[in-house]
Amino acid sequence: MSSSDGLAVEDVVTTYGAVRALDGVSLHVAPGTITAVLGANGAGKTTLLRTINGLVRPASGRITYGGKDLVRTRVEDVVQSGIAHVPEGRGVITELTVEENLRLGALWRGDRGKSVESLKQMYAMFPPLKDRQQRSADTLSGGERQMLVVARALMARPNLLLLDEPSLGLAPRITAQIMATLRRLRDEQGLTVVLVEQNARSALSVADDAVVLNLGKVVAQGKAADLAADEKLRHAYLGF
Amino acid sequence: MSDAKTPGPDAPETPAGALIAPKTATSSDRFGALSRSTLLRHTLFALVGFGLLLLLIRLLSDYRNTQLAPIALTTCAAAGLTLLVGLSGQISLGNGAFMFVGAYTTALLLEHWHSAHGNLQLIAVFAAAIVVSSLFGGIVGVAGARLRGPYLAGATLALAIGLPQIVNYQHLSDKLGGNNGVVVIAPNPPAGWDIYRWRSVLCCAAAVIVLWFLANVAHSRIGRSLRAVRDDEISASLAGLSVPRLQVLAFVISAGCAGLAGGLLAVVSLVAGPGAFPLALSLGLLAAVVFGGLGSLAGAVYGSIVVTLLPQWSQDVSSALNIHSDKITNNIPLVVYGVVLAVAMLAVPNGVQGALLRLRGLALSRLRR
Amino acid sequence: MFKFLNLTLSGVSNGMIYAAVALALVMIWRATRIVNFAQGAMLMFTTFIAWDLAQQHGVNYWVCLVVAMLSGFVIGGAAERFLVRPVETGPPLNAVIVTLGLFIFLQGLAGMIWGNAQAHSYPPGFSILGYQVGKRTLLFAPNDLYIVISVVILVVLLYLLFNRTPVGLRMRAAAFNPEVARLLGVRVGRLLTVGWALAAAVGALAGILAAGTQPGYVAPSGLFDALLVYGFTAAVIGGLDSPLGAVIGGLILGVALSLADNYIDNNIEGMYAFIILIAVLMVRPNGLFARQHARRV
Repeated sequence: MSSSDGLAVEDVVTTYGAVRALDGVSLHVAPGTITAVLGANGAGKTTLLRTINGLVRPASGRITYGGKDLVRTRVEDVVQSGIAHVPEGRGVITELTVEENLRLGALWRGDRGKSVESLKQMYAMFPPLKDRQQRSADTLSGGERQMLVVARALMARPNLLLLDEPSLGLAPRITAQIMATLRRLRDEQGLTVVLVEQNARSALSVADDAVVLNLGKVVAQGKAADLAADEKLRHAYLGF
Repeated sequence: MSDAKTPGPDAPETPAGALIAPKTATSSDRFGALSRSTLLRHTLFALVGFGLLLLLIRLLSDYRNTQLAPIALTTCAAAGLTLLVGLSGQISLGNGAFMFVGAYTTALLLEHWHSAHGNLQLIAVFAAAIVVSSLFGGIVGVAGARLRGPYLAGATLALAIGLPQIVNYQHLSDKLGGNNGVVVIAPNPPAGWDIYRWRSVLCCAAAVIVLWFLANVAHSRIGRSLRAVRDDEISASLAGLSVPRLQVLAFVISAGCAGLAGGLLAVVSLVAGPGAFPLALSLGLLAAVVFGGLGSLAGAVYGSIVVTLLPQWSQDVSSALNIHSDKITNNIPLVVYGVVLAVAMLAVPNGVQGALLRLRGLALSRLRR
Repeated sequence: MFKFLNLTLSGVSNGMIYAAVALALVMIWRATRIVNFAQGAMLMFTTFIAWDLAQQHGVNYWVCLVVAMLSGFVIGGAAERFLVRPVETGPPLNAVIVTLGLFIFLQGLAGMIWGNAQAHSYPPGFSILGYQVGKRTLLFAPNDLYIVISVVILVVLLYLLFNRTPVGLRMRAAAFNPEVARLLGVRVGRLLTVGWALAAAVGALAGILAAGTQPGYVAPSGLFDALLVYGFTAAVIGGLDSPLGAVIGGLILGVALSLADNYIDNNIEGMYAFIILIAVLMVRPNGLFARQHARRV
């Protein structure tokens, strides 16, 4: 596996004051794969995504994507590297309409024509959004909001998608729908996904690889299927 | 003079001071949980301070006394504002309006009440000015009780600009003297005192009393309650404190102090007119408080010194730099106030007093090694 | 009856000026959650610049107007970038104090450059002689029509900018949810600066319009301070979050002041503004049309 490909996190330490939220985390995500990041609450999963994206600066360590150093990149510039982040709690801008949220996702590209194309694709992929195009985003239900933020992230035409707890508060049917969409995008477009999830079972069913965090450290990593089969691991860290 | 700086994180403060009796409380205190020793200490400081000031007044020239008097009366207003902004966390830009009320109360009473006992009358008149402006402060406090942050600032700004206009209201303008104001008939100083020194004595006495009073309030249960409300309104009200009542109380006290300052100003300048209460006055007071360090009574003193002497210093600086333009010299104070306010928040959020305390803390920690 | 209507009409053009100031305040509030207490002083300063050009150098009215708005743009942007940015996050008291500092600083600076001794006059854009209807004269002149039309055009342009352009969409996103906006590649800092710059340009327009309504308007302190209070009152009536509310608030205030001036006393306008402001705030501490809920993620 060439380390200039894909996302490489090396020995990252992130602190909030005296607390080490990430305590020397290393992992590698190969392009075109779905990697699940699992673990209990407070294990450092969200902090990992926020550090990758630049919302939080690591105290030490390296993060590169496609060979490019992410630690020195500003948050608003990260999207230009092809990384889209869907934060925890969804991040729908409720004062804007559905369509405005979507168009916002593609603005950084600055190409009007292709954005219109992408918009049509998103409406095709997520019909409920099309029905509510001009409605204010705060009228959407939880599931629809999740669709909106995934669609918005996809409008940026990312090659790496960071998703933080997409299934939180969602009906299983909708979660399954979103997971299926992710799989399809991986297969058809080679989209790389890093999926942070509390619901380990559903995450492991869709992921290729998995990493388990506990108290800021990596306690297991490998193929998703292997981790899912490891009963002791599941009971200790994954809750099933 | 003791200060009322917010205690650091290691001070044993509880917002629910009303519920937990501090160990040093004594039973017969007017100020709630203010310990007898603190009250004594403050009183001692006040008496010694006043004695020193009397000496200073005697030693200084007439000219210097005409500077000391405004410093002292500004201290009254600035100290009151310190309580309001620093201790209770309410942004008020309207204390110039309270000074206005105090000044006019004083002027009108002196105009219509003729008495043989000039200086006793004066004390009564000042007391009346305090009462009237406190009442007015209470009304404003109640009206603004639900306002926070910029809304309260904007409302008090409107007050500062709007209230002085009342002198031109057609039904009141003859009694209030319109733009020319009301002339103040001040009683003669007692035998043996010249007028400038006597004014200094009045103003310094007032300043000492105000500072003594506020220092005691700050250390009392009321002071703790005010700080609690400032720091976390919700927790404070959950702990049983009546937030609106405390906020109105802060306004009342602050307005009373400003009213006294206004009354003194009227007596010192022998007139009460709207021109003495522009917006720049309220903003200058705020600058004094911020400069000295929000929440610090000693800071109110420093700030008042700077704000009062600034026009004179501007003249001196201009002469030294050979600037002969009035328009530049006269506006230096405003520019300095502006810079102080802006820079203070950006660079030295704790003001002069905060800087001094930090230096003292550094020095003490060196000594301990 | 005619008198009442006439007075109402007379209040409309002043009301539109207050609406413009209110709009400037609302724009800044929506972007950075700060009340720009220096707004009055900023527009005083830009009006002085225009006055200087017009009076001392005989420059054309319309060029002066453009210069005023451009200098407003620069001053507003510089203020956000250098003074306000450090206090944007943090206790509201700090931002209030910083903008107040800018307020007095600009007053002092204007005094230094142009002096305090005299209040100067600024020409109106058009005639101030009221329109004639039959035998009666309206309290509404071509200059008032110009004021109303200017502000209406301004409101329309701003609406188009914010709602129909990509940069407007970015600015709204930056204001409503800066963290999410950053994730989407929006340069939040830069856009907040632009927001302040635009707001100050709007304020500059209001200053020029206001200065033409009365002789002796242009001075470092005085009528421009009152304009800040009226603009703030109008913004609060409408709710600091609502641009439409700013316009409605301005109109309400303008008409109310016009009626009060005539039926009660015309020397205490500041008192009326204070009373109206307090009355509104006592009923709705966050303004009449304010949002009831906090911003959600």
